[in-house]
Parts: sequence; C-alpha cells; structure tokens
Amino acid sequence: MLDLSYQGKDFPEFHFEVERCKIKELCTAIGDDNPLFYDKEYAVQNGYKDIPAPLTFPTLINFWGYTDLWKNLTLMGVDVKKLLHAKEEYEYLAPIYPGDKLTGKVSVDSMRDSSAMDMVTFKSVFSRDNKEVLIAKMTIVVPKGAV
Amino acid sequence: MIKWEDITENMEIPSITKDPITQVQLVRYAGASGDFNPIHTVPDYAREAGLDGTIAHGMLIMGMMGQMISSFAGVKNVKRYAASFKNITKPGTVLICKGVIKRKIENGSEKTAECKVWVEDTAGDIKLEGKVSLSF
Repeated sequence: MLDLSYQGKDFPEFHFEVERCKIKELCTAIGDDNPLFYDKEYAVQNGYKDIPAPLTFPTLINFWGYTDLWKNLTLMGVDVKKLLHAKEEYEYLAPIYPGDKLTGKVSVDSMRDSSAMDMVTFKSVFSRDNKEVLIAKMTIVVPKGAV
Repeated sequence: MIKWEDITENMEIPSITKDPITQVQLVRYAGASGDFNPIHTVPDYAREAGLDGTIAHGMLIMGMMGQMISSFAGVKNVKRYAASFKNITKPGTVLICKGVIKRKIENGSEKTAECKVWVEDTAGDIKLEGKVSLSF
C-alpha cells in the first residue's frame, strides 16, 4: 500500500564528487567505446573541458550518492520485488566533468495509487556551485494483482 | 560529431548493434551504476519475483541508446533525453539502437533537432522508446 503522505516530500541533500574512473566504468559496462569518455585529449580537441559524463550518468549519481533510495522506497510502501522502471527523463543544463562537486536533491514529484498499479515519480536536481546542471525524473511502477 | 548543417528531417541516425547482453555485463553494470536490485544479478531472486531468470537493467538499455546518441551528436548538444521502458530484456539478447530526426527547428539563434529513438531486439520487439532534443 503506497503511503501517499510522501507526495511532494524532499529528501535530504547529498554530495557527490564525479570521478574519472566512474565515467569509464559506466561506459565500459554499457560497451560504449567512444573515445570522448576515455581520452581527455580527444575530448578537448572536440570542444570539451575534459571527458564529459555520459548521458545516463545521473542514475549513477543517485544510486551511489543517495543509497537510502531503496530504503525510502520500502518506507513509502513500494513493493521493491515487483518494481518496474517505467520512465527516465533527463534535462541537461551544462556538461558534467571529472572533479565536479555536485549537490543532489531528490523529491517525490508525483504518486498515484490505482487499482491496476502503484506509480511514483522521483525528481532529482543536481547543482554545481549553486547552479543547476541537470534535472532527472524517474518513474517506477508496481503492477497489482495478476500480471 | 554531426553539425547542424548536416542534419535533415527524416534523416536516420546511424544505428548501432550491440553484442549479446551477458550475465557478467549485468554484474558489471550493477557495480558501475550502483543499482544492486538482485533481479538483475541473482537468478534465484529473479525466479522468486516471478521471472524465469535475471533481466537487464532498463538503464543499461538506455545507456546503449545513449551510446548511439553521443556517437552521433556528442554530449554537449544533447538537451533532453527521455525514455520509456517497453519490455524486459534477458541475457543473450542482441539489441539494436535506432533513431530518426523528426523535426528541425530554427528560432532566431536557437537551433533544435527533435529525434525519435528506439531500441529493439533482432525479432523487432521494442524494448525502449525515447525522445531526444539536440541543440546547436
């Protein structure tokens, strides 16, 4: 049963420093061999300050930077064993580079409790030097009854 | 990386065909991303959850699509990237990332290209559908 009192709730801020190695590790796991993510010289030649964080890096910031996320899901009444990732959405305001010290803030953007499924959307805002660099939204669903 | 002048409406984004997803890749992706939901890495847990084995992280699929987008347009020109996950993907699956430029919009100094992207397996089963906005 979803605890709808979490609607709109802001979770505590967290801090995350972007490490070069994590960028390479994520790209290696994806099988993305684009030199942009491995070779600083190549990145600079292509107009970047350093190797940039790849497009799906924000998920890593949340999972490694805010490890309470899973615990919170359970507290909110989400059945994590049946949870499905439905949607993920990013708005990129500025490139993210190794050494960046980011502040992350996760909030509950919306919650829905219907007869067919539970649905929760989290919003994460990441800032660097008090300036927003990235906004992420993640929607998870838990189907109810026979699937 | 593509330039604004070289983009046309209905143009196909060069597709990429990935190597078959392996269980080791899911373990590697779990460590890299920090998503340790055992449904992706522990077959017994996945079976208890009602599946017949582990399934790939949706974010791994979105990451593969990210590879296609960045190979085409880099990182800086990507302003929005949204994905809906349509179906589960099992280890052994070969995925193909595809995309097309839907609209090219020039509004003063703002130059935007709206793209439709999707990931399918070799049988044509859609795993992910997404939208990408490029800005130049």
